[in-house]
Amino acid sequence: MNDRIAVQADWENREFISHISLNIRRLFDFLIQFESTTKSKLSSLNLKLDTLERRLQLLELQVSTATANPSLFTSTTTTSA
Amino acid sequence: MELEQTRPENPAMTFDEVSMERSKSFIKALQELKNLRPQLYSAAEYCEKSYLHSEQKQTVLDNLKDYAVRALVNAVDHLGTVAYKLTDLLEQQALEVSTMEVKVSCLNQQYLTCQTYTDKEGLRQQQLLAFIPRHHKHYVLQNSVNKKVHFSPQILTDARQNHFQARSRLQPSGSPASKTLSWHLASETKSTLKGAPHVMASNEDTKTSGKSSVLFQLLDKEESAKTRSSGAPAQLSSGGPVAGANMQKFGVPRRVMPKSARTQTCPTFF
Repeated sequence: MNDRIAVQADWENREFISHISLNIRRLFDFLIQFESTTKSKLSSLNLKLDTLERRLQLLELQVSTATANPSLFTSTTTTSA
Repeated sequence: MELEQTRPENPAMTFDEVSMERSKSFIKALQELKNLRPQLYSAAEYCEKSYLHSEQKQTVLDNLKDYAVRALVNAVDHLGTVAYKLTDLLEQQALEVSTMEVKVSCLNQQYLTCQTYTDKEGLRQQQLLAFIPRHHKHYVLQNSVNKKVHFSPQILTDARQNHFQARSRLQPSGSPASKTLSWHLASETKSTLKGAPHVMASNEDTKTSGKSSVLFQLLDKEESAKTRSSGAPAQLSSGGPVAGANMQKFGVPRRVMPKSARTQTCPTFF
């Protein structure tokens, strides 16, 4: 009788342990999936930022080149006047 | 909730505050998740010692099971909070980057518009600033300076018309004002060169410049002939072979102008 109770308690403990381990594995899978998605999002964000930075540098260079020679804009006003 | 209440007060400030709050909450959640690890380790050591040293092992085991379930739920909750806040932060950053891309595209478009406008204005100015020499009839310049100025404005425009007509191989205008020496030469060249288009195509550029030089030489010689009445035929004859050689060079026969045409076409500046 005691053996039967002990065996039953043992089976319950094993079932509980299997449930806990199963849930921990599901948590682990979620963490792996979350890591992959976050990595892809971060890489795309990084790419966008790099592209944006290059476009801004080009724009800054173009504007500085254009503003370096303001006579281009003032000559139109003088000739029109 | 607190963020929604603060938004209507100052929208410009609350956007930064919202982003700061999001970052702070994410950092806080991450810190709490990190703190779970030593808590779980300490709880595991306590349960092991209590099971070994306690007499009521079944009670300790039941408490341990309950604590394991609660710790697992707590860990899942913390992980979910951290994952949600991180995803929200990344979405916010992606939105800001997209907004910046739109703004940069607008700036680029504005710059291209300015560039296009500047180019068009530059072309327009260059066209307006084209130098068109106009000389009064009583001005007399030396022959060596610029032979173009020997033309009157009317003849100058006629020469230009003949220049363009020779390039495009069109018929002369036929107006009475255009029947000058240059017009006669142009008409002559057109009539003779109708059977030799290849020669015209190859020597077109040099022909126009040579024709103008021929015109200058003929007119120059004719002017000198007017001033020197005795030496007129000799000068014409001296200039004739040169002109004829130039014209023959381009495949055009020399034509002797009648005196009436000469007097009509030669410009008079006095």
